[in-house]
Amino acid sequence: MNNSEELNGAQIVLEALKEQEVDTIFGYPGGAVLPIYDAIFGQNFLKHVLVRAEAGAVHAAEGYARSSGQVGVLLVTSGPGATNVVTGLTDALMDSIPIVCITGQVPSHLIGTDAFQECDTTGITRPCTKYNYLVKDVSKLSEVIHEAFEIARSGRPGPVLIDIPKNVQLAKSVYKPRKEISFRPHRIKSGSTEISKEFIENLISHVKKSTKPVLYIGGGCLNSGPKASEELRKFAELTNIPVTTTLHGLGCYPGNGKLSIGMLGMHGTYEANLTMHDCDLMINVGARFDDRITGRLDAFSPDSIKFHFDIDKSSINKNVNVNFSTNTDIAHALSAINNYISSNNIEFNHNQISNWWNQIKEWKSNDCLKYEQGEETIKPQHAISRLNELTKNKDTIVTTEVGQHQMWAAQYFQFNKPNSWITSGGLGTMGFGMPAAIGAQMANPEALVIDIAGEASFLMNIQEIATAVQYKLPIKIFILNNEYMGMVRQWQELMHGSRYSESYVDALPDFVKLAESFHAVGLRAKNVSELDETINEMLSIDRPVIADIWVDKKENVFPMIPSGAAHNEMLLSQYDEEKPENQEKGKVLV
Amino acid sequence: MSDASVYSEPNNTFKNSKRNVLSIIVDNEPGILARIVGLFSGRGYNIEALNVTVVDIKENLSRITLETIGEQKVIEQIIAHLEKLVPVHSAINLADLNESYEAEISLIKIIYKNEDQNLKTLALADIYRTRTVTKKDGIVIYEISGTSERVNKFLDDLNGINGIKVEIVRSGPIGLGV
Repeated sequence: MNNSEELNGAQIVLEALKEQEVDTIFGYPGGAVLPIYDAIFGQNFLKHVLVRAEAGAVHAAEGYARSSGQVGVLLVTSGPGATNVVTGLTDALMDSIPIVCITGQVPSHLIGTDAFQECDTTGITRPCTKYNYLVKDVSKLSEVIHEAFEIARSGRPGPVLIDIPKNVQLAKSVYKPRKEISFRPHRIKSGSTEISKEFIENLISHVKKSTKPVLYIGGGCLNSGPKASEELRKFAELTNIPVTTTLHGLGCYPGNGKLSIGMLGMHGTYEANLTMHDCDLMINVGARFDDRITGRLDAFSPDSIKFHFDIDKSSINKNVNVNFSTNTDIAHALSAINNYISSNNIEFNHNQISNWWNQIKEWKSNDCLKYEQGEETIKPQHAISRLNELTKNKDTIVTTEVGQHQMWAAQYFQFNKPNSWITSGGLGTMGFGMPAAIGAQMANPEALVIDIAGEASFLMNIQEIATAVQYKLPIKIFILNNEYMGMVRQWQELMHGSRYSESYVDALPDFVKLAESFHAVGLRAKNVSELDETINEMLSIDRPVIADIWVDKKENVFPMIPSGAAHNEMLLSQYDEEKPENQEKGKVLV
Repeated sequence: MSDASVYSEPNNTFKNSKRNVLSIIVDNEPGILARIVGLFSGRGYNIEALNVTVVDIKENLSRITLETIGEQKVIEQIIAHLEKLVPVHSAINLADLNESYEAEISLIKIIYKNEDQNLKTLALADIYRTRTVTKKDGIVIYEISGTSERVNKFLDDLNGINGIKVEIVRSGPIGLGV
């Protein structure tokens, strides 16, 4: 391409995406983006994945980003196209997922006239994006797109939206390559890569003193890249400190690693939560003291010195006050700490925490995730355990919807490496999992991608099966079908006197026939004797499969820290006689 | 029963709170004010006063001065959130500086019915060294500048004069560190 050649806005969009090495874009056409679709037609570096609703495009972009570490990209039209992605943008903002969303807009001269398919896209998405643009001048377009990618992936990652009026897509200008653009540093806000010696020394001296330490790992560790997980593992092994992870931290430290004590929080393990409660030193790496994690704040880990690694300054001292904090990128921070330890020949006395490990083992012996699988009805926990077992030697990526099945997946599926677990944690978006699986499969064509689903969540974006079929994406949808919005039912049982108001999902489709009607494959397991066979069959089919697994309708997720309760006030099982004292108080919480 | 409406806040909201003046330098671009204001409303913070003006035409920068009431911890959160916004260059709490100065300007219209009221008002205006902007037929507009506290005191004292009607516009505080 000649450098001074004039292109139209739509072609500039494509040039910029090419330079950003974007190979996949999820989208849905409409009037206000037709020029960009015209530019997509007849080129071959960019694969466009046509979703069946815009909500699917944004979750697919999230799945693509989470599973690849790259920026996910989507393209939708003005008005309803834009408003349909609002949930997904909010989801990406909450879970710090880098995506760039391009929306068409009505021509500049019609903005503000209530034109057909016009909405105030930048106004609507301002609070649910990291940043957004309305591009009114085609000569600024190259710069805007490159800056958008930079903002999406730097610091704490997040979604960025670019709204481009149709006339700007057709107006002509010269494309400006990335190297000719100097970003203004105040706008990019990438995190620091330097960490103070003082912080390192403080951390090491506290680790040396501590008799009850814990590492509490969150999604920030994932976002910092694979190096962060490696350095974390190194640090944990040097110090022998037990490691607990949040929902998004799963996989950052291997679930089968010897220091792993499982997930913490509302449905975390008994040992993880008691470790958090009783510890004298808490090292938070990339987690944000979310309410699902802390339980009742005034009873949260009352006797610990707290260190907090978070690239986002506003996460420090937001919910929980900490003693020491750093905003340095985690991979850089942990690597500097590990280097300091090795270059100064610092050794940690593991015996000092042997009593602590004995205590943790005693808690562990409680076997808080035990369940009783009978002869007939499939226990949902058993279904996940078998799925985990039968996929052990495969390169598996798991996505989920939101609810009980999501928690069981987190508890009973073992994640041993980062970027293999994709779930909607912060926003809790039902309907997330299947489009996310589509995105993950696009980014990882060789991987086994499984959406562990509930039947209610699955119905929320069910149209996307057609997308999976069209692009021959062999995703597996593993439905734990209990005919209820299970988590809603569980809360109604525990906090609203078992009044199951509107949580029963009546008139469900026949998922096998439904799969067939979409030209996918449908399978079903009705009782425990059919389970393994169904899973194996599902794994053997190189096409999209919906496996409808009928599970116990009354099973609840345990352990559970009810809202408003403390870490040491956990409900252990269905059969637990002790009801928490704060049940009524918890009712007003979420 | 009080006549508190559904819109009023419970009185204990500001128990350990104090007044803070934040000074924010931003790129002067469309939507920047909405971003700042949206951050406050979305996260449940309060804006007591707000002033926005371009201060550097060449660099296209605006300075936003914003008065908010909150506990120390909340103010630190607000600043961290402000600094995260892409077009924000800097956000500081003037109270954190060793030395800073504040001022605001206010126009105050007084409608009086008789000469006694006028004289009382004039006396006060003189004490506070206000400037008379205009005066005719029972109406006088004064301009007063200084700290917000000084303006408040003047208004309090005006309240003591029975029978006059007062109409006020205030710029809100602006401030600079030394």
